[in-house]
Amino acid sequence: MCSPSRPGQPQPERFFDGFTRAMLITMVLLLMGIFASASYMSQHKMAATGTDDKVNNLATVATHGEHHPFIELPGDAQLGAFSVANFFAGIIVGYQWLRLFGKAKGTR
Amino acid sequence: MHIEDGILSLGACAAWYGASAAFVGPGIVQIRHRIKANLSYKPFLAMVGVAVFVISAMHLPVPVTGSCSHPCGTALAAILVGPWAATVLSVIVLFLQALFLGHGGITTIGANTFSMGIAGGLSGYALWKLLRGMRAPLWLAAAAAGLVGDLVTYLASALELALSLHGQIPLVKQWMIFFMGYGPTQLPLAVVEAAFTAVVLQAMASRRPDLLPGVIVKKGA
Repeated sequence: MCSPSRPGQPQPERFFDGFTRAMLITMVLLLMGIFASASYMSQHKMAATGTDDKVNNLATVATHGEHHPFIELPGDAQLGAFSVANFFAGIIVGYQWLRLFGKAKGTR
Repeated sequence: MHIEDGILSLGACAAWYGASAAFVGPGIVQIRHRIKANLSYKPFLAMVGVAVFVISAMHLPVPVTGSCSHPCGTALAAILVGPWAATVLSVIVLFLQALFLGHGGITTIGANTFSMGIAGGLSGYALWKLLRGMRAPLWLAAAAAGLVGDLVTYLASALELALSLHGQIPLVKQWMIFFMGYGPTQLPLAVVEAAFTAVVLQAMASRRPDLLPGVIVKKGA
């Protein structure tokens, strides 16, 4: 059984706090939206390609040439590159987060 | 809006590099000026840059059209760090995306910066300033900036392609043909970007208005 902390004692850190819950719920909702959309597109045999690629292909009809990104990332390499980039991006955002969204002293 | 290498002629690429440089130069000056005035600006700029990098690489599926696309985040960046500074962030983001993620090209960084960082960022920022000047609620001004900034980015991208490739076809017709490649997928994502922009700015206004002097609170307030 957990005893209440005495006055003057430091409060224990709550890691699974309201912010974490809200972020997890938002993430799960977004992922569910993506899964539902992807499932719908898969059932209806939609290609689900990016519009950038679609328009770049359309443009090469006029140029009669080849278009290519600066670097090609075939198959799972793209997933890996995105994961690495977003992992470190997440760390940087997390590091700076409290400076931006943490309640400042004297700010209501 | 990530135009790849090999589509625009070298002349067009050079012209878009020049056009973008005209905005990126003042952006560097704005960054230097703000860093001196506000110690929090540098880490803030880094975080906003990372956010633009992630947002503009995040492909979301849109089942109505059967394709995927991404929001841009440059209207939000323009409001948060300044319209000119946001163009500098766009160059860096597009360079890294071209170099490591297979998104866009090196010769087309000028064109892509112009559509995403300049057209998208400045249009969103201008609308934000206009609506705030008319005393519109913060969430409404932010949402309108996000929506318009997103759509203008893709309109500008389509125009860049049409200007180079319309040939015998009337320019406006070719422009709309390219835009229709983006538009139907982009419209729902622009609504998502509007909501996201509104939520972020509302959160910052309630938590840390002091981080945004001149944006949410008047300078010196």
